[in-house]
Amino acid sequence: MLSKLLKYELKATGRIFLPLFLALLMFAGITRLIYSIGPEKWDAPASISMAIYIIIMVGMFVMTFIMMIQRFYKNLLSDEGYLMLTLPVKPWKHILSKLLVSMLWMVTSGIAALISILIITLEKGDITKIVVGLLTVYDQVYEQLGASMYLLSVEIIIGVLISLASGILILYASIALGHLFSKHRMLASFGAFIALSTLSQILFTLIGLIPEAYFPDIHISSNDFIGMQHLIQWVIAGGIIFTGLLSAAYFAITNFILSKRLNLE
Amino acid sequence: MSAILECNDLTKKFGSNVAVSAVNLKIERGQIVGLLGPNGSGKSTIIKLANELLTPTRGSILIGGKKPGTETKKIVSYLPEKTYLNDWMRVHQIIELFSDFYEDFKPEKAYDMLKILNINPNDRLKTMSKGTKEKVQLILVMSREAELYLLDEPIGGVDPAARDYILQTILRNYNENATVIISTHLISDIENILDYVVFINHGQVVLTSSVDDIRDEKGKSVDALFREVFKC
Amino acid sequence: MPWELKSDRPIYTQLIEQIELMIFSGVYPLGSKLPSVRDMAQEAAVNPNTMQRALVKLEEDGLIITHRTSGRSITEDARMVEMAKTKLAQEQISEFLAKMHLMGFEQRSILTIIDNMVKEMKK
Repeated sequence: MLSKLLKYELKATGRIFLPLFLALLMFAGITRLIYSIGPEKWDAPASISMAIYIIIMVGMFVMTFIMMIQRFYKNLLSDEGYLMLTLPVKPWKHILSKLLVSMLWMVTSGIAALISILIITLEKGDITKIVVGLLTVYDQVYEQLGASMYLLSVEIIIGVLISLASGILILYASIALGHLFSKHRMLASFGAFIALSTLSQILFTLIGLIPEAYFPDIHISSNDFIGMQHLIQWVIAGGIIFTGLLSAAYFAITNFILSKRLNLE
Repeated sequence: MSAILECNDLTKKFGSNVAVSAVNLKIERGQIVGLLGPNGSGKSTIIKLANELLTPTRGSILIGGKKPGTETKKIVSYLPEKTYLNDWMRVHQIIELFSDFYEDFKPEKAYDMLKILNINPNDRLKTMSKGTKEKVQLILVMSREAELYLLDEPIGGVDPAARDYILQTILRNYNENATVIISTHLISDIENILDYVVFINHGQVVLTSSVDDIRDEKGKSVDALFREVFKC
Repeated sequence: MPWELKSDRPIYTQLIEQIELMIFSGVYPLGSKLPSVRDMAQEAAVNPNTMQRALVKLEEDGLIITHRTSGRSITEDARMVEMAKTKLAQEQISEFLAKMHLMGFEQRSILTIIDNMVKEMKK
């Protein structure tokens, strides 16, 4: 069932994003073309093309945000909810499918943006330079950190993903909490968002105080990066666990409301 | 076999507003039942409770002996009062969606009915009139071989010819294992196809009876009795 | 075939009458097979359970026979049909006579009126 939900979620959102990506890359290409033809004579068209490109770029990122919220709110908590929530599927699968697809589009938007920038700025021989540069960085990092570089990279990737998930889930939870009210739902969602963020900030600060209490003698020194790397790994791991728990909490709140406190008008 | 729908002391409150109050009901299989009452009497609320779109404040509602959940949704086919389809989809896409999620959905039936009603499966729902969208929704619901059909105001906004077609479709899909519950306030149109009626007002059951008994004992149609009972 | 169903009398009794009429008038000839309950219910636009009830009553009265494997059919007993037909005619006439009496007609005048009307119809 989850895979089917993912399929429909992708269909519903892909029809917006794929054309956007196309447009983005196209205008990147056009801008690049106009510039390479001759900057002086083609100043005006070049600026227009660049402006359009930037607008599309901004629009794309704004769209990922809007879509993320709209897919959750419109598809589950308004009229379409009558269809979706009477499907023989548990609510958590709905939440998960929308979460994963939102994350997907955010990541691919980033990649598309990157590619479009390369399209505009890449000069001949740049690719070679970049590849050489990357390899050099790789070698240097490996020299410094050894095999734990892989662990660190993996941790960082997981960290980014879980933060993304947590950011989306806190919005879902806020919308769901807002749904509990019969009037002024938007305001309530907004309020819930503020409450949840504040709560998590407080928790974060409290947890941040624990190491000081238990390990008062640790000094963080930027000179001793290598020696610090274990500590850094622990800190990142701790961050991941904390964010993971928060995400689980937001997910649980959303799931509970959709399962037990639903009230579709 | 157990009753297909059972309400035990079913109560639903929204804040201080009591929408459904201590309702006790037992509906058997193989019946076509009318859930009749004025607007705001609690009919839609009971149907939403049966679909797990609302949770009871007190008491219980059971479908085939089970509480509403994933298992009951597999055997319940629900037609809400509003249009709930994704506007961007084409008709054949929504048919595919139903096929994907409902094992008892029969796409051939759906395509047949679409043909009869002259609806092109390639059309986008966005481009359809409200009446046509409602017909599509009805076709989707009736193309399932469910054990319980819950139709909330199926003939409300529809022209008389379509109304006849809808009633015909309901009769055509009848089988002794399934039950159809029609919630409406347009009684004279559907009276002839009902076995049994439940009158509801202010969230409470006012009367339950077979249609024939009403005509036998009171010498009047259900519609006439309704007007009497619910006189303003 | 349009089925005319009034709203203040039980549907099943009206169905019984209509089916009887169809038997008497030959629309359903003696011995012929009846459509399924579902089909008949659909035609009449009524609930299948109600149609079933009507058919069961007609069976009790002997006008319809259920065969274990092949559904229902009209009886082949012409005499039975005649008897039922006559009974219905008598019921209709009793009703008619009662009304006429209420209006104050005497038997002889009733017969005269009927006679004249029949002569008119034959022309």
